[in-house]
Amino acid sequence: MKRVSPVAGALMPTTSKRIAGIAAAALLTAGLASPVAAEDGPIPIGLSLTQSPPGAVIQGEEVLRGHLIARDIINEEGVLDREIELHVQDSQGIPERGRSAVERLIERVGVVALSGQHQSSVCLAEIDVANRHNIPYMNTNCWSDDVRAAGYPQVFNPNIYNSRVAEAMGEAIAQLEGIESIHALAENTDWGIGQAEELGKYLAEHAPDIAYRHDLLDREAEDFTPVVQRIRSDQPDMVVAIMLPPAAYILMNQLAEQGVVPSDDTWLFEGGGLFSYPDFWDNVRDSAVNTIFFDLYHPEMPLSAFGERVRDEYVERYDGTPSRLVFQAADSLLLIAEAIRIAGSTDGDAMIEALQGIELEGSRGVITFSDEPGVLYQQWVDTPYVTFQVTELDQALEDTVFVSAPGVEVNIEALAR
Amino acid sequence: MMTLELILQGLVMGVFYAMMGIGLTLIFGILKVVYFAHGESFMVGAYTYALIAALLGLPLPIALASAVVVGALLAVIVERLLIRPLYEKFGDWQQMRDEYAIIVTFGLSLFLINAANQFLGPYPYHGPALTDIARFQFGDIIIGGHRLVAGLLGLLILGGALWFIQRSFWGKQIRAVAQNRFGASIAGIDTRRVSALVFMLSGGLAALSGALLVPLFHAQPDVGMVPALKSFVIVVLGGMGSPIGAIIGGLILGVLESFGAFYVSYAYRDTFAFVILIAVLLLRPQGLFGERAREV
Repeated sequence: MKRVSPVAGALMPTTSKRIAGIAAAALLTAGLASPVAAEDGPIPIGLSLTQSPPGAVIQGEEVLRGHLIARDIINEEGVLDREIELHVQDSQGIPERGRSAVERLIERVGVVALSGQHQSSVCLAEIDVANRHNIPYMNTNCWSDDVRAAGYPQVFNPNIYNSRVAEAMGEAIAQLEGIESIHALAENTDWGIGQAEELGKYLAEHAPDIAYRHDLLDREAEDFTPVVQRIRSDQPDMVVAIMLPPAAYILMNQLAEQGVVPSDDTWLFEGGGLFSYPDFWDNVRDSAVNTIFFDLYHPEMPLSAFGERVRDEYVERYDGTPSRLVFQAADSLLLIAEAIRIAGSTDGDAMIEALQGIELEGSRGVITFSDEPGVLYQQWVDTPYVTFQVTELDQALEDTVFVSAPGVEVNIEALAR
Repeated sequence: MMTLELILQGLVMGVFYAMMGIGLTLIFGILKVVYFAHGESFMVGAYTYALIAALLGLPLPIALASAVVVGALLAVIVERLLIRPLYEKFGDWQQMRDEYAIIVTFGLSLFLINAANQFLGPYPYHGPALTDIARFQFGDIIIGGHRLVAGLLGLLILGGALWFIQRSFWGKQIRAVAQNRFGASIAGIDTRRVSALVFMLSGGLAALSGALLVPLFHAQPDVGMVPALKSFVIVVLGGMGSPIGAIIGGLILGVLESFGAFYVSYAYRDTFAFVILIAVLLLRPQGLFGERAREV
């Protein structure tokens, strides 16, 4: 029988308690303290994007690809002799998931900047967190004006915004002959509602003779037939679609099913930049023919050396034409890297100051941020955009018909019906 | 004319709702189980059809049949592995705890959605239409070609399912078990086999519904969630355990949604289903064809 010393027996629990106490204190300290990136290790950058439904997964995938390409390009030379390291969280396109994703990235991973978000409702939830932690937040693709109007110094917007999109679409619409009525269908999100309302405001001011109405559709809905029947009954001269996939694809197919488009009587104007998504032609057929698309990239656009590199890398890695989201994502990471380089550190205040005064050649132009309050706050005002028309089934982006761009008059003659 | 078109469109959607609802009501009828993973049978059917027809390029009838088989098979496996252990452990059927089945089937639903997301990816898959005719036009009434063909096919299948339940040898066994499981087993009916058969029928019908709708809706991991919610409304509306009630309930819901979305607001389209649900529970909790007391 094994004998146990009464002294040892008495000491053992005390020792165990002490060890447990030290371990608990260590864990508590580790849990409470924000992790700090090692000064000589990789620089952690957080990405919050959609990787699973109900959000726009295809957008998330393109944004991720753009960041991965940019990361590899930047890491060839490094930043402050360190490499960029990306940490990805899935926001599912749900605001509360996005909020917890960026909390996790900041608190647990210790990221020095955030990037990647592409859905406005999620951006609006995430920027509060970035603001609270004073972490630079690069808005990769959230178009809602409210993201800018919040006025957070941590938030930078190297992409387009709703009222500018509405203005661009409105300019093109106003020049089309015979447009007397427009019916817009927008998803019930901050982006969709905002863009539909901004388009209405623009038309009321610049083309008051055009009767404009919009309906809000649930992005998780699957059958839009009743609203399409309403449109068929009203016979508007133009339908404007402001939705993201997969609901956008379903809507476009159901417009074609009811014979609304393509037709000689009704134009379809797509305002979400869907055409360059890799799965577009797998999911949308006849309704895309003769549709006018708004987008932020077209092969005819001039690209910088960085932009050409991003495009070539994309073609090599993914065997397809990059969408605008790839360039937007690459620009987002390039801006963060350049801010760290200018600041000489990953300190939040120093990076924000660097970004506020930055002048950087991105993929599609020189990026600077406005300091005008409101919708232009920390916005790249000269974001390039393009409108083009698809004229054939399975047409490639480079073969579409160029319609308009900033400073270029709408090429009405080029439009087919 | 628009009224007729709204009725037609509503009836076609109602056929698909009914195909979902009839399976759910049968499962509840014989097992008293609220089957929360029913929408995932719809999802499995949608994926099977889209993958076999669009990616493998096999003929559409084979793709449709495969969807039914895969949906039925999945449901039988679920019954055998997850549902049967729940009731076999209880000597008296009345002792079975409903919440076990709710938790198990709800967990299964989440598992299947995430499994689809993991293995098939989150991208939408578009299935080919059953006909090349884009749309049919009868005077001013327009209906999509695939929608009409799929609706008619669904109607035929619903008729066949109803005949099977009401007239066939196996259908009579199902109804006997639904009325009194213990009594049916004394009469020599293999109640376990009947349970498996009901799950098979339910899974097959839901999967077929998904397959028929995938050219309109696209297959994606959570595609079955809305149809599943609607089928719960249908079951309550038609009366829990009543196949005829499920069919009538599905058609009523389809037409009401169609009119409501057109004349009231599209924004409230899915709300109509829940308004109906609340109204039925308040005014006629047993549903249109349900019984006030089911136990014999």
